[in-house]
Amino acid sequence: MVSPTTGGAGRAAGTGPEPGQARGSARFLARDELQRLIDLLHEDGRQVIGPTVADGAIVLDRIDSVADLPAGWGALQAPGRFTLVRRDDERLFEYNVGPMSWKRYTFPATAPLTTVRGSADEVTYEPAPREIPKLAFLGVRACEIAGILVQDRVLLGGPFIDEDYRDRRAAALIIAVQCTTAASTCFCSSMGTGPEVRGGHDLVLTELDDGFVVEPGSAAGRALLERLPTVPATADQVADVVGAVSAARLAMGTGVATVGLKDRLLAQLEHPRWAEVAERCLTCTNCTLVCPTCFCTSVVQRSELVGTASGSVRAWDSCFNPGFARVAGGNFRSRPRDRYRQWLTHKFATWVDQFGTFGCVGCGRCITWCPVGIDVREELAAIAPPIAPRITPPSPEPVAATPTEFASARVAATHPETADTTTLVLGETELPLLATKPGQFVMVTLPAFPRLPISVSRVRPDGIELTIRAAGPATKALTELKPGALLGIRGPLGVGWPVDRAVGRDVVIVTGGIGLAPLRPLIDTILADRERFGAVRIYYGARTRRDMLYTGELAAWAARPDVDLQLTVDRGDPEWLGRVGVVTHLFDQATWEGSKAVAFVCGPERMMQATVGALIDRGMHSDRIFLTLERHMECGIGLCGHCQMGRYFVCKDGPVFSLAQLGDSFGREGV
Amino acid sequence: METREPAPGRTPGPAEPRLETIVAALNSTWFGAGLPPGTQARLAAMGHIEHVPAGTVLLREGEIAEDFGLLLAGRVALRLLVPERGMVTILTVEPGDIIGWSAIVPPHRSTSTVVAIEPAEVLMLDGAELRAALRADHALAATLYPRVLQAVGRRLNATRLQLLDLFARDELARGEALRAW
Repeated sequence: MVSPTTGGAGRAAGTGPEPGQARGSARFLARDELQRLIDLLHEDGRQVIGPTVADGAIVLDRIDSVADLPAGWGALQAPGRFTLVRRDDERLFEYNVGPMSWKRYTFPATAPLTTVRGSADEVTYEPAPREIPKLAFLGVRACEIAGILVQDRVLLGGPFIDEDYRDRRAAALIIAVQCTTAASTCFCSSMGTGPEVRGGHDLVLTELDDGFVVEPGSAAGRALLERLPTVPATADQVADVVGAVSAARLAMGTGVATVGLKDRLLAQLEHPRWAEVAERCLTCTNCTLVCPTCFCTSVVQRSELVGTASGSVRAWDSCFNPGFARVAGGNFRSRPRDRYRQWLTHKFATWVDQFGTFGCVGCGRCITWCPVGIDVREELAAIAPPIAPRITPPSPEPVAATPTEFASARVAATHPETADTTTLVLGETELPLLATKPGQFVMVTLPAFPRLPISVSRVRPDGIELTIRAAGPATKALTELKPGALLGIRGPLGVGWPVDRAVGRDVVIVTGGIGLAPLRPLIDTILADRERFGAVRIYYGARTRRDMLYTGELAAWAARPDVDLQLTVDRGDPEWLGRVGVVTHLFDQATWEGSKAVAFVCGPERMMQATVGALIDRGMHSDRIFLTLERHMECGIGLCGHCQMGRYFVCKDGPVFSLAQLGDSFGREGV
Repeated sequence: METREPAPGRTPGPAEPRLETIVAALNSTWFGAGLPPGTQARLAAMGHIEHVPAGTVLLREGEIAEDFGLLLAGRVALRLLVPERGMVTILTVEPGDIIGWSAIVPPHRSTSTVVAIEPAEVLMLDGAELRAALRADHALAATLYPRVLQAVGRRLNATRLQLLDLFARDELARGEALRAW
């Protein structure tokens, strides 16, 4: 496929590009020659399945010639609405998806399983005979390929597999079509499945006014392409394809905020919205029938009248059916709200635990074909809204992403925190730095000094803050900068705190010394959305009272009734009437229950080890204890090798990790 | 208690609180909660509750610890005298924890000076009675000593971490300090 994100053009076969001709394997098939593709597929013994107009919709059916395709038809889609519209061109694929998904062919609505024959002497079980047609799917969209791959994972991912599905999948050739338009119901871009076709196809077409840019995606596709009457695609044609697919992407709305969605959603099992949406939901099962990934089935028995044989047939079922979760003693999901919640939480949360992907690919069928127009995007946004970024980022690309490039930032103000620690406020910051997530860091450099990783200690509307302790020559030089000074900066880098994991849960923050700095943006984020979290407990230890950072803010947090802030110092002095002792003593005998809480920990590694032990003693789960690790970093993007630790590069895969991720490498000597 | 002069500023506690009050106090502490009811009743019989104002010296380093205390409310500091530095607070003790464990561990001399830095409420168990009971009743000793060891071990562990002085070095791994090596 032709897309700037895939590098597909980079897989060129040997020769360099001709002038005016695109690099790589992109070919152009004239509109008049499309019939040749269908003919070749027929010659190969394949039946062609593709889109056609029937019953007021664009459905999938047998395609014998180009004339069967919906030339000049488009579709208006909205919640609960699908309307065919006549277009003023003769394009064949200028719409998105209809009610049918390809699972009708890979995973039919009914499939015979077993025939049981009984006589007085014996009972036999025979597998039902299966006939698997050789098919070619023509016009498979990116989201639909994603749907097929999700079903592959479910039905072929093992340890048991569905043999009928396996055989039907193997017998189908996938000829994809990239979308150049987007319906109001489309949200593939937010689910990361489209509109670009990124794999799983044999051949991919992108429609232009006079024909198609065609690229192979497999050996079978390449062989087929070689038999087609094509010419090399021109650079203009390739550019048109990129532009058209990008236009489809831009035409889509915000869709679903997937980052952290699983945890946010599972934290809202008691949200009142479940009952509200159930007032509208007819539990008609349309959404599950049109869904390309829904795979639930029931086995029904069909007996012959003579009574000597019966057949079992696998048939699509739906978690919206009243009997789906019924047992002899009752029904586990008797209320519509239970069934709606089951469906939505499976698609967007528990599916991830089971299969490593969402069960939704963003095709929008469940929205269009819902008779009352329930829109999963709206429901998700109401039930489990994303934690609002405090500053809306204009671009996710980090400033100066390569190790050689630094942007410059100007010190707008400095705040001394302690005798050796200073906070630099950087203004005139390039916009991506304003998109820094809590827990991310930047690489900072001054002329003649080594580059250093520094955690961002606050994201402001107009800049960022870095809190730096003078521990060596470079950090000393940084703490001595005056307002107006320039420094080199790259970032934001690394993986930050997973704040979504804490939605609806109690939050425990344990930190020591300058470790409070990377946690401050997290605390800012939580306090800005305070009602979304349970109890918030902050435990902070410092060497002496004079080594505490952000003393004004500590006082403000302590004054809040909805924050429990506990402080301790290692070394008391006559003026300190607070606690003296290690930070773990602040909570190791506390009475709160840790099994449902999420902890965020930052400090010297030896302190984090003691903290982790005390948190586990409180009943906390290792999957919900997050730590930020400190390692020697030079590049910040996983290339220089310094921060490698087991299977991770701390800079790129961290610096925030869950304890479960680190396993027994955390705290091990010499790792 | 009866063998010791009251410390300056100390106000005597109310005379003979009911045993149930002391059992309830035991149950409010992590040290005393969960002890068998019989053990709690025996301890209650040898205890009394004291309320002391901030500044009260409950115990002096090197002196015989007459009472085994459980802090019920307030905060007390464990301090050591360092010549030319004065009294240094090593640890603060919070409600639920014990003070004066030396009362049941030979040679019964306090290892630090214990000062209330807030008004405090302490359940005092008479050391002589407790020692006699622990000698005579091995089941009581087997119940109580693991808890004392747990409390003392917790302090030992904390003291080790403090000894590491972690926050004084926490930027070493950040880069340039290690670069020389």
